[in-house]
Amino acid sequence: MLPASALIMFLFGVIVIYGGLAYFLYRAFKGKTK
Amino acid sequence: MAAVGSAIGLGNVWRFPYICYANGGGAFLLPFFIALFTAGIPLLILEFTIGHWSQQPPPAAFKEMNKKWEWAGWWATFIPFLVSIYYVVIMAWCFAYMLYAIDLRWGTNAETFFLQTFLRVTNGPLEFGGISIPVILGLIAIWTMIFIILYKGVDRIGKVVLLTVPLPTILLMVLTLRGITLPGAIEGISYYLTPDFSALTNVNVWLAAYAQVFFSIGVAQGIMITYASYLKKTSDINNNAIITALADAGTSFFAGFTVFSVIGYLAASQGVGIDQLGIAGPFLVFVTYPTAISLLPAAAAIFGILFYIALLTFGIDSAFSMIEPLTAGINHRFKITKTKTTAVLCTIGFSLSLLFTAGNGLYLLELMDHFVANFGLVAVGLVECILIGWFGPLKYFQTYANKTSEVHIGRWWTIIIKFIIPTVLILLLVLSIIENILHPYMEYPWIALLLFGVIPLIAIIIISIMIMKKSQKEET
Repeated sequence: MLPASALIMFLFGVIVIYGGLAYFLYRAFKGKTK
Repeated sequence: MAAVGSAIGLGNVWRFPYICYANGGGAFLLPFFIALFTAGIPLLILEFTIGHWSQQPPPAAFKEMNKKWEWAGWWATFIPFLVSIYYVVIMAWCFAYMLYAIDLRWGTNAETFFLQTFLRVTNGPLEFGGISIPVILGLIAIWTMIFIILYKGVDRIGKVVLLTVPLPTILLMVLTLRGITLPGAIEGISYYLTPDFSALTNVNVWLAAYAQVFFSIGVAQGIMITYASYLKKTSDINNNAIITALADAGTSFFAGFTVFSVIGYLAASQGVGIDQLGIAGPFLVFVTYPTAISLLPAAAAIFGILFYIALLTFGIDSAFSMIEPLTAGINHRFKITKTKTTAVLCTIGFSLSLLFTAGNGLYLLELMDHFVANFGLVAVGLVECILIGWFGPLKYFQTYANKTSEVHIGRWWTIIIKFIIPTVLILLLVLSIIENILHPYMEYPWIALLLFGVIPLIAIIIISIMIMKKSQKEET
Protein backbone atom coordinates (compact mmCIF):
# COMPACT_ATOMS: atom_id res chain seq x y z
CA MET A 1 0.00 0.00 0.00
CA LEU A 2 1.05 3.57 -0.62
CA PRO A 3 1.93 5.67 2.45
CA ALA A 4 -0.64 8.33 3.37
CA SER A 5 1.60 11.23 2.27
CA ALA A 6 2.11 9.59 -1.15
CA LEU A 7 -1.63 9.10 -1.45
CA ILE A 8 -2.21 12.79 -0.67
CA MET A 9 0.33 13.78 -3.33
CA PHE A 10 -1.38 11.46 -5.80
CA LEU A 11 -4.79 12.98 -5.11
CA PHE A 12 -3.34 16.49 -5.26
CA GLY A 13 -1.81 15.78 -8.67
CA VAL A 14 -4.94 14.16 -10.04
CA ILE A 15 -7.32 16.86 -8.80
CA VAL A 16 -5.19 19.88 -9.66
CA ILE A 17 -3.68 18.73 -12.97
CA TYR A 18 -6.32 16.48 -14.50
CA GLY A 19 -9.25 18.20 -12.78
CA GLY A 20 -7.91 21.55 -13.96
CA LEU A 21 -7.35 20.23 -17.47
CA ALA A 22 -10.87 18.80 -17.65
CA TYR A 23 -12.33 22.09 -16.36
CA PHE A 24 -10.50 24.28 -18.87
CA LEU A 25 -11.23 21.89 -21.75
CA TYR A 26 -14.89 22.07 -20.76
CA ARG A 27 -14.71 25.89 -20.72
CA ALA A 28 -13.04 25.89 -24.14
CA PHE A 29 -15.64 23.51 -25.55
CA LYS A 30 -18.47 25.55 -24.03
CA GLY A 31 -16.99 28.75 -25.43
CA LYS A 32 -16.80 27.27 -28.94
CA THR A 33 -20.37 25.99 -28.96
CA LYS A 34 -21.84 29.27 -27.69
CA MET B 1 -2.73 21.14 -30.85
CA ALA B 2 0.73 22.00 -32.28
CA ALA B 3 1.59 23.85 -29.07
CA VAL B 4 0.51 20.84 -26.99
CA GLY B 5 2.57 18.58 -29.29
CA SER B 6 5.56 20.87 -28.90
CA ALA B 7 5.23 21.03 -25.13
CA ILE B 8 4.85 17.26 -24.71
CA GLY B 9 8.08 15.56 -25.65
CA LEU B 10 11.13 13.79 -24.30
CA GLY B 11 11.08 16.41 -21.55
CA ASN B 12 8.10 14.58 -20.07
CA VAL B 13 9.03 10.94 -20.54
CA TRP B 14 12.82 11.09 -20.36
CA ARG B 15 13.87 14.28 -18.55
CA PHE B 16 11.10 14.63 -15.96
CA PRO B 17 11.45 11.12 -14.45
CA TYR B 18 15.24 11.25 -14.25
CA ILE B 19 15.34 14.78 -12.82
CA CYS B 20 12.66 13.64 -10.38
CA TYR B 21 14.74 10.58 -9.42
CA ALA B 22 17.97 12.62 -9.15
CA ASN B 23 16.23 15.05 -6.79
CA GLY B 24 14.80 12.46 -4.46
CA GLY B 25 11.57 11.35 -6.19
CA GLY B 26 8.67 12.77 -4.17
CA ALA B 27 10.99 15.53 -2.89
CA PHE B 28 10.90 17.05 -6.38
CA LEU B 29 7.15 16.85 -7.08
CA LEU B 30 6.07 19.66 -4.76
CA PRO B 31 8.61 22.22 -6.11
CA PHE B 32 7.63 21.09 -9.62
CA PHE B 33 3.94 21.85 -9.03
CA ILE B 34 4.79 25.19 -7.40
CA ALA B 35 7.07 26.11 -10.34
CA LEU B 36 4.29 25.18 -12.76
CA PHE B 37 1.77 27.55 -11.19
CA THR B 38 4.10 30.38 -10.22
CA ALA B 39 6.14 30.51 -13.42
CA GLY B 40 5.13 28.01 -16.12
CA ILE B 41 1.49 28.98 -16.64
CA PRO B 42 1.92 32.80 -16.18
CA LEU B 43 4.90 32.85 -18.58
CA LEU B 44 3.05 30.72 -21.12
CA ILE B 45 0.12 33.16 -21.02
CA LEU B 46 2.61 36.00 -21.57
CA GLU B 47 4.26 34.27 -24.54
CA PHE B 48 0.91 33.34 -26.12
CA THR B 49 -0.14 36.97 -25.74
CA ILE B 50 3.07 38.31 -27.34
CA GLY B 51 2.73 35.94 -30.31
CA HIS B 52 -1.00 36.53 -30.74
CA TRP B 53 -0.58 40.31 -30.47
CA SER B 54 2.38 40.68 -32.84
CA GLN B 55 1.56 37.83 -35.28
CA GLN B 56 5.30 37.73 -35.93
CA PRO B 57 8.27 35.57 -34.87
CA PRO B 58 10.02 36.43 -31.54
CA PRO B 59 12.72 38.83 -32.86
CA ALA B 60 10.15 40.95 -34.71
CA ALA B 61 7.72 40.73 -31.79
CA PHE B 62 10.30 42.06 -29.32
CA LYS B 63 11.36 44.72 -31.83
CA GLU B 64 7.76 45.87 -32.11
CA MET B 65 7.66 46.38 -28.34
CA ASN B 66 10.96 48.25 -28.32
CA LYS B 67 13.55 48.59 -31.09
CA LYS B 68 16.35 47.90 -28.61
CA TRP B 69 14.85 44.55 -27.61
CA GLU B 70 15.23 42.68 -30.91
CA TRP B 71 18.27 40.86 -29.48
CA ALA B 72 16.12 39.28 -26.75
CA GLY B 73 13.88 37.77 -29.45
CA TRP B 74 16.88 36.36 -31.33
CA TRP B 75 18.35 35.05 -28.08
CA ALA B 76 15.09 33.25 -27.30
CA THR B 77 15.07 31.65 -30.78
CA PHE B 78 18.70 30.51 -30.63
CA ILE B 79 18.19 28.72 -27.30
CA PRO B 80 15.81 26.02 -28.64
CA PHE B 81 18.07 25.56 -31.68
CA LEU B 82 20.92 24.88 -29.25
CA VAL B 83 18.68 22.40 -27.40
CA SER B 84 17.70 20.69 -30.67
CA ILE B 85 21.36 19.87 -31.38
CA TYR B 86 21.52 17.43 -28.47
CA TYR B 87 17.79 16.64 -28.25
CA VAL B 88 17.97 15.06 -31.72
CA VAL B 89 20.94 12.97 -30.55
CA ILE B 90 18.75 11.42 -27.83
CA MET B 91 16.10 10.78 -30.46
CA ALA B 92 18.75 9.12 -32.64
CA TRP B 93 19.59 6.86 -29.70
CA CYS B 94 15.87 6.06 -29.33
CA PHE B 95 15.69 5.28 -33.05
CA ALA B 96 18.58 2.80 -32.75
CA TYR B 97 17.13 1.28 -29.56
CA MET B 98 13.74 0.84 -31.22
CA LEU B 99 15.51 -1.47 -33.69
CA TYR B 100 17.66 -3.10 -30.99
CA ALA B 101 14.50 -3.90 -29.01
CA ILE B 102 13.42 -6.37 -31.73
CA ASP B 103 15.98 -8.95 -30.50
CA LEU B 104 16.80 -7.29 -27.14
CA ARG B 105 20.31 -6.63 -28.47
CA TRP B 106 21.56 -5.20 -25.16
CA GLY B 107 21.55 -8.72 -23.71
CA THR B 108 22.03 -9.24 -19.99
CA ASN B 109 24.21 -6.17 -19.39
CA ALA B 110 22.45 -3.09 -20.76
CA GLU B 111 25.01 -0.74 -19.21
CA THR B 112 28.01 -2.28 -20.97
CA PHE B 113 26.06 -2.40 -24.21
CA PHE B 114 25.03 1.27 -23.97
CA LEU B 115 28.39 2.66 -22.89
CA GLN B 116 30.86 0.42 -24.67
CA THR B 117 29.19 -1.23 -27.64
CA PHE B 118 26.74 1.52 -28.65
CA LEU B 119 28.38 4.83 -27.62
CA ARG B 120 32.01 3.67 -27.17
CA VAL B 121 32.31 6.09 -24.26
CA THR B 122 35.75 7.45 -23.37
CA ASN B 123 37.12 8.45 -19.95
CA GLY B 124 36.21 12.13 -20.00
CA PRO B 125 34.63 15.00 -21.96
CA LEU B 126 37.88 16.04 -23.60
CA GLU B 127 38.78 12.57 -24.88
CA PHE B 128 36.99 12.20 -28.24
CA GLY B 129 37.55 8.49 -29.02
CA GLY B 130 35.80 6.66 -31.85
CA ILE B 131 32.62 7.52 -33.72
CA SER B 132 29.37 5.57 -33.22
CA ILE B 133 28.00 4.67 -36.67
CA PRO B 134 24.48 3.70 -35.40
CA VAL B 135 24.16 7.17 -33.83
CA ILE B 136 25.16 8.86 -37.11
CA LEU B 137 22.58 6.79 -39.02
CA GLY B 138 19.97 7.69 -36.42
CA LEU B 139 20.86 11.38 -36.73
CA ILE B 140 20.48 11.26 -40.52
CA ALA B 141 17.04 9.64 -40.12
CA ILE B 142 15.77 12.15 -37.52
CA TRP B 143 17.13 15.33 -39.15
CA THR B 144 15.69 14.20 -42.53
CA MET B 145 12.32 13.65 -40.84
CA ILE B 146 12.46 17.13 -39.28
CA PHE B 147 13.31 18.71 -42.64
CA ILE B 148 10.48 16.88 -44.44
CA ILE B 149 7.96 18.02 -41.81
CA LEU B 150 9.16 21.63 -41.64
CA TYR B 151 9.90 22.67 -45.20
CA LYS B 152 6.24 22.76 -46.20
CA GLY B 153 5.41 25.05 -43.30
CA VAL B 154 2.70 25.31 -40.70
CA ASP B 155 0.02 23.31 -42.55
CA ARG B 156 2.11 20.16 -42.45
CA ILE B 157 2.94 20.68 -38.76
CA GLY B 158 -0.81 20.75 -38.08
CA LYS B 159 -1.29 17.42 -39.88
CA VAL B 160 1.72 15.70 -38.26
CA VAL B 161 0.65 16.55 -34.71
CA LEU B 162 -2.74 14.90 -35.30
CA LEU B 163 -0.78 11.64 -35.19
CA THR B 164 2.18 12.47 -32.94
CA VAL B 165 0.11 13.74 -30.01
CA PRO B 166 -2.50 10.99 -29.48
CA LEU B 167 -0.40 7.98 -30.57
CA PRO B 168 2.35 8.20 -27.91
CA THR B 169 -0.24 9.08 -25.26
CA ILE B 170 -2.08 5.84 -26.00
CA LEU B 171 1.23 3.93 -26.01
CA LEU B 172 2.16 5.49 -22.67
CA MET B 173 -1.16 4.30 -21.21
CA VAL B 174 -0.50 0.75 -22.45
CA LEU B 175 3.02 0.85 -20.98
CA THR B 176 1.74 2.18 -17.65
CA LEU B 177 -0.87 -0.55 -17.39
CA ARG B 178 1.90 -3.11 -17.89
CA GLY B 179 4.25 -1.27 -15.52
CA ILE B 180 1.92 -1.02 -12.55
CA THR B 181 1.07 -4.71 -12.68
CA LEU B 182 4.73 -5.70 -12.22
CA PRO B 183 6.02 -6.92 -8.83
CA GLY B 184 7.74 -4.09 -6.91
CA ALA B 185 5.86 -1.42 -8.89
CA ILE B 186 4.11 -0.07 -5.80
CA GLU B 187 7.48 0.60 -4.08
CA GLY B 188 8.62 2.52 -7.14
CA ILE B 189 5.43 4.59 -7.19
CA SER B 190 5.73 5.17 -3.45
CA TYR B 191 9.28 6.53 -3.99
CA TYR B 192 7.91 8.79 -6.73
CA LEU B 193 5.00 10.19 -4.72
CA THR B 194 6.21 10.38 -1.11
CA PRO B 195 7.10 14.03 -0.41
CA ASP B 196 10.29 14.93 1.41
CA PHE B 197 9.78 18.35 2.99
CA SER B 198 13.45 18.66 3.99
CA ALA B 199 14.31 18.90 0.27
CA LEU B 200 12.39 22.20 0.08
CA THR B 201 15.42 23.91 1.65
CA ASN B 202 17.72 22.63 -1.13
CA VAL B 203 18.23 25.35 -3.77
CA ASN B 204 19.27 22.82 -6.42
CA VAL B 205 15.91 21.04 -6.18
CA TRP B 206 14.12 24.35 -6.81
CA LEU B 207 16.38 25.30 -9.71
CA ALA B 208 15.86 21.85 -11.23
CA ALA B 209 12.07 22.25 -10.82
CA TYR B 210 11.91 25.65 -12.53
CA ALA B 211 14.32 24.56 -15.28
CA GLN B 212 12.25 21.40 -15.86
CA VAL B 213 9.01 23.40 -16.13
CA PHE B 214 10.62 25.79 -18.66
CA PHE B 215 12.22 22.96 -20.64
CA SER B 216 9.10 20.83 -20.70
CA ILE B 217 6.43 23.44 -21.47
CA GLY B 218 8.71 25.16 -23.95
CA VAL B 219 8.59 28.65 -22.46
CA ALA B 220 11.59 30.99 -22.63
CA GLN B 221 12.48 29.41 -25.97
CA GLY B 222 10.57 31.51 -28.47
CA ILE B 223 8.59 28.40 -29.44
CA MET B 224 5.27 29.42 -27.94
CA ILE B 225 5.57 33.00 -29.25
CA THR B 226 6.09 31.56 -32.73
CA TYR B 227 3.19 29.11 -32.49
CA ALA B 228 0.87 31.75 -31.00
CA SER B 229 1.71 34.05 -33.92
CA TYR B 230 -0.05 31.50 -36.17
CA LEU B 231 -3.24 31.61 -34.06
CA LYS B 232 -6.35 33.26 -35.44
CA LYS B 233 -7.10 36.70 -34.01
CA THR B 234 -10.24 35.26 -32.42
CA SER B 235 -8.40 32.43 -30.61
CA ASP B 236 -8.70 32.25 -26.83
CA ILE B 237 -5.25 33.04 -25.38
CA ASN B 238 -5.61 32.26 -21.68
CA ASN B 239 -7.52 29.03 -22.07
CA ASN B 240 -5.13 27.73 -24.76
CA ALA B 241 -2.13 28.54 -22.57
CA ILE B 242 -3.57 26.89 -19.45
CA ILE B 243 -4.66 23.78 -21.38
CA THR B 244 -1.20 23.46 -22.98
CA ALA B 245 0.60 23.78 -19.63
CA LEU B 246 -1.73 21.37 -17.81
CA ALA B 247 -1.60 18.81 -20.64
CA ASP B 248 2.18 18.96 -20.46
CA ALA B 249 2.30 18.65 -16.67
CA GLY B 250 -0.32 15.89 -16.80
CA THR B 251 1.84 13.90 -19.23
CA SER B 252 4.91 14.31 -16.99
CA PHE B 253 2.93 13.27 -13.91
CA PHE B 254 1.57 10.25 -15.77
CA ALA B 255 4.97 9.30 -17.25
CA GLY B 256 6.28 9.26 -13.67
CA PHE B 257 4.00 6.28 -12.95
CA THR B 258 5.14 4.51 -16.14
CA VAL B 259 8.82 4.93 -15.33
CA PHE B 260 8.84 4.58 -11.53
CA SER B 261 6.74 1.40 -11.62
CA VAL B 262 9.43 -0.14 -13.85
CA ILE B 263 12.18 1.28 -11.60
CA GLY B 264 10.47 -0.38 -8.62
CA TYR B 265 10.27 -3.65 -10.54
CA LEU B 266 13.97 -3.43 -11.42
CA ALA B 267 14.98 -2.70 -7.81
CA ALA B 268 12.87 -5.64 -6.60
CA SER B 269 14.34 -7.95 -9.26
CA GLN B 270 17.91 -7.00 -8.35
CA GLY B 271 17.22 -6.95 -4.61
CA VAL B 272 18.47 -3.38 -4.11
CA GLY B 273 16.90 -0.16 -2.86
CA ILE B 274 15.44 2.24 -5.44
CA ASP B 275 17.86 5.00 -4.47
CA GLN B 276 20.75 2.58 -4.98
CA LEU B 277 20.01 2.06 -8.69
CA GLY B 278 22.13 5.12 -9.49
CA ILE B 279 20.07 6.36 -12.43
CA ALA B 280 21.56 9.47 -14.01
CA GLY B 281 20.65 11.34 -17.19
CA PRO B 282 20.12 9.15 -20.24
CA PHE B 283 20.79 6.01 -18.18
CA LEU B 284 17.12 5.88 -17.28
CA VAL B 285 15.97 5.31 -20.85
CA PHE B 286 18.97 3.45 -22.21
CA VAL B 287 20.14 1.31 -19.28
CA THR B 288 17.45 1.06 -16.61
CA TYR B 289 14.56 0.59 -19.02
CA PRO B 290 16.26 -1.98 -21.29
CA THR B 291 17.33 -3.94 -18.19
CA ALA B 292 13.75 -3.97 -16.95
CA ILE B 293 12.45 -4.89 -20.42
CA SER B 294 14.79 -7.91 -20.54
CA LEU B 295 13.46 -9.07 -17.18
CA LEU B 296 9.84 -9.03 -18.31
CA PRO B 297 8.18 -12.44 -18.17
CA ALA B 298 6.43 -12.10 -21.56
CA ALA B 299 6.30 -9.94 -24.72
CA ALA B 300 9.51 -8.12 -23.75
CA ALA B 301 10.39 -7.15 -27.33
CA ILE B 302 6.92 -5.71 -28.02
CA PHE B 303 7.07 -3.72 -24.78
CA GLY B 304 10.52 -2.40 -25.76
CA ILE B 305 9.56 -1.45 -29.31
CA LEU B 306 6.39 0.33 -28.11
CA PHE B 307 8.39 2.26 -25.49
CA TYR B 308 10.89 3.63 -28.01
CA ILE B 309 8.19 4.38 -30.60
CA ALA B 310 6.38 6.36 -27.88
CA LEU B 311 9.57 8.30 -27.12
CA LEU B 312 10.20 9.00 -30.82
CA THR B 313 6.67 10.19 -31.53
CA PHE B 314 6.66 12.28 -28.35
CA GLY B 315 9.99 13.79 -29.34
CA ILE B 316 9.51 14.54 -33.01
CA ASP B 317 7.00 17.42 -32.67
CA SER B 318 9.11 18.99 -29.91
CA ALA B 319 12.21 18.63 -32.10
CA PHE B 320 10.76 20.44 -35.10
CA SER B 321 9.18 23.08 -32.87
CA MET B 322 12.71 23.91 -31.65
CA ILE B 323 13.84 24.75 -35.20
CA GLU B 324 10.67 26.62 -36.19
CA PRO B 325 11.28 29.88 -34.20
CA LEU B 326 14.70 30.44 -35.80
CA THR B 327 13.37 29.45 -39.25
CA ALA B 328 10.48 31.89 -38.88
CA GLY B 329 12.80 34.60 -37.51
CA ILE B 330 15.30 34.32 -40.39
CA ASN B 331 12.52 34.02 -42.96
CA HIS B 332 10.89 37.19 -41.63
CA ARG B 333 14.06 39.25 -41.09
CA PHE B 334 16.20 38.27 -44.11
CA LYS B 335 13.39 37.36 -46.53
CA ILE B 336 14.95 33.95 -47.25
CA THR B 337 12.40 31.29 -48.21
CA LYS B 338 11.33 28.86 -45.50
CA THR B 339 12.50 25.87 -47.56
CA LYS B 340 16.01 27.30 -47.90
CA THR B 341 16.18 28.39 -44.26
CA THR B 342 14.96 24.99 -43.05
CA ALA B 343 17.48 23.17 -45.28
CA VAL B 344 20.38 25.32 -44.03
CA LEU B 345 19.37 25.06 -40.35
CA CYS B 346 18.84 21.29 -40.55
CA THR B 347 22.27 20.92 -42.19
CA ILE B 348 23.93 23.10 -39.52
CA GLY B 349 22.00 21.26 -36.79
CA PHE B 350 23.03 17.87 -38.20
CA SER B 351 26.69 18.95 -38.43
CA LEU B 352 26.70 20.19 -34.84
CA SER B 353 24.90 17.05 -33.64
CA LEU B 354 27.82 15.03 -35.04
CA LEU B 355 29.87 16.40 -32.11
CA PHE B 356 27.87 14.06 -29.88
CA THR B 357 28.56 10.92 -31.91
CA ALA B 358 32.12 10.54 -30.66
CA GLY B 359 33.12 8.67 -27.51
CA ASN B 360 32.76 11.80 -25.38
CA GLY B 361 29.24 12.54 -26.73
CA LEU B 362 27.47 11.39 -23.58
CA TYR B 363 29.54 13.74 -21.37
CA LEU B 364 29.03 16.68 -23.74
CA LEU B 365 25.30 16.03 -23.94
CA GLU B 366 24.81 16.04 -20.17
CA LEU B 367 27.05 19.07 -19.82
CA MET B 368 25.24 21.08 -22.48
CA ASP B 369 21.82 20.12 -21.12
CA HIS B 370 22.88 21.21 -17.63
CA PHE B 371 24.02 24.65 -18.82
CA VAL B 372 21.36 25.36 -21.46
CA ALA B 373 18.41 24.25 -19.31
CA ASN B 374 19.56 25.51 -15.91
CA PHE B 375 21.10 28.79 -17.06
CA GLY B 376 20.01 29.53 -20.66
CA LEU B 377 16.27 28.94 -20.27
CA VAL B 378 16.11 30.44 -16.80
CA ALA B 379 18.01 33.55 -17.98
CA VAL B 380 15.73 34.05 -21.02
CA GLY B 381 12.66 33.68 -18.78
CA LEU B 382 14.12 36.23 -16.40
CA VAL B 383 14.98 38.76 -19.15
CA GLU B 384 11.50 38.34 -20.68
CA CYS B 385 9.83 39.10 -17.34
CA ILE B 386 12.07 42.08 -16.53
CA LEU B 387 11.81 43.68 -19.98
CA ILE B 388 8.06 43.28 -20.36
CA GLY B 389 7.14 43.50 -16.68
CA TRP B 390 9.16 46.59 -15.83
CA PHE B 391 9.68 48.41 -19.11
CA GLY B 392 7.11 46.92 -21.47
CA PRO B 393 3.37 46.89 -22.04
CA LEU B 394 2.48 44.36 -19.32
CA LYS B 395 -0.79 46.06 -18.34
CA TYR B 396 -1.78 46.34 -21.99
CA PHE B 397 -0.99 42.63 -22.51
CA GLN B 398 -3.26 41.75 -19.58
CA THR B 399 -6.13 43.70 -21.14
CA TYR B 400 -5.31 42.28 -24.59
CA ALA B 401 -5.27 38.67 -23.34
CA ASN B 402 -8.54 39.14 -21.46
CA LYS B 403 -10.21 40.72 -24.48
CA THR B 404 -9.73 37.55 -26.54
CA SER B 405 -10.22 35.09 -23.68
CA GLU B 406 -13.17 33.63 -21.90
CA VAL B 407 -11.15 32.97 -18.71
CA HIS B 408 -9.81 36.29 -17.44
CA ILE B 409 -6.46 36.86 -15.69
CA GLY B 410 -6.40 39.26 -12.79
CA ARG B 411 -3.84 41.44 -11.06
CA TRP B 412 -2.16 38.31 -9.69
CA TRP B 413 -0.73 37.69 -13.18
CA THR B 414 1.04 41.05 -13.40
CA ILE B 415 2.38 40.62 -9.86
CA ILE B 416 3.79 37.19 -10.76
CA ILE B 417 5.44 38.44 -13.99
CA LYS B 418 6.76 41.65 -12.44
CA PHE B 419 7.86 40.53 -8.98
CA ILE B 420 7.61 36.85 -8.19
CA ILE B 421 9.27 35.24 -11.25
CA PRO B 422 12.19 37.73 -11.41
CA THR B 423 12.84 37.43 -7.66
CA VAL B 424 12.78 33.63 -7.69
CA LEU B 425 14.86 33.35 -10.86
CA ILE B 426 17.50 35.90 -9.79
CA LEU B 427 17.87 34.12 -6.46
CA LEU B 428 18.13 30.72 -8.10
CA LEU B 429 20.56 31.92 -10.77
CA VAL B 430 22.91 33.61 -8.30
CA LEU B 431 22.91 30.67 -5.89
CA SER B 432 23.36 28.23 -8.74
CA ILE B 433 26.27 30.18 -10.25
CA ILE B 434 27.99 30.20 -6.85
CA GLU B 435 27.31 26.48 -6.46
CA ASN B 436 28.71 25.75 -9.94
CA ILE B 437 31.84 27.79 -9.26
CA LEU B 438 32.46 26.10 -5.90
CA HIS B 439 31.62 22.63 -7.21
CA PRO B 440 32.15 22.44 -10.99
CA TYR B 441 29.55 20.29 -12.75
CA MET B 442 30.45 16.58 -12.37
CA GLU B 443 34.01 17.70 -11.51
CA TYR B 444 34.67 18.08 -15.25
CA PRO B 445 37.73 20.14 -16.30
CA TRP B 446 37.07 23.88 -16.56
CA ILE B 447 38.01 23.99 -20.21
CA ALA B 448 35.23 21.45 -21.03
CA LEU B 449 32.69 23.43 -19.00
CA LEU B 450 33.66 26.64 -20.79
CA LEU B 451 33.78 25.15 -24.31
CA PHE B 452 30.53 23.21 -24.22
CA GLY B 453 28.56 25.00 -21.52
CA VAL B 454 29.40 28.66 -21.01
CA ILE B 455 30.74 29.73 -24.43
CA PRO B 456 27.74 28.51 -26.51
CA LEU B 457 25.41 30.45 -24.20
CA ILE B 458 27.48 33.64 -24.44
CA ALA B 459 28.01 33.19 -28.19
CA ILE B 460 24.28 33.20 -28.94
CA ILE B 461 23.83 36.42 -26.93
CA ILE B 462 26.65 38.07 -28.93
CA ILE B 463 25.20 36.84 -32.26
CA SER B 464 21.74 38.13 -31.22
CA ILE B 465 23.15 41.59 -30.40
CA MET B 466 25.11 41.64 -33.68
CA ILE B 467 21.98 40.88 -35.71
CA MET B 468 20.13 43.69 -33.91
CA LYS B 469 22.99 46.15 -34.50
CA LYS B 470 22.97 45.21 -38.20
CA SER B 471 19.21 45.85 -38.36
CA GLN B 472 19.63 49.24 -36.69
CA LYS B 473 22.46 50.17 -39.07
CA GLU B 474 20.39 49.23 -42.12
CA GLU B 475 17.46 51.28 -40.90
CA THR B 476 19.56 54.41 -40.39
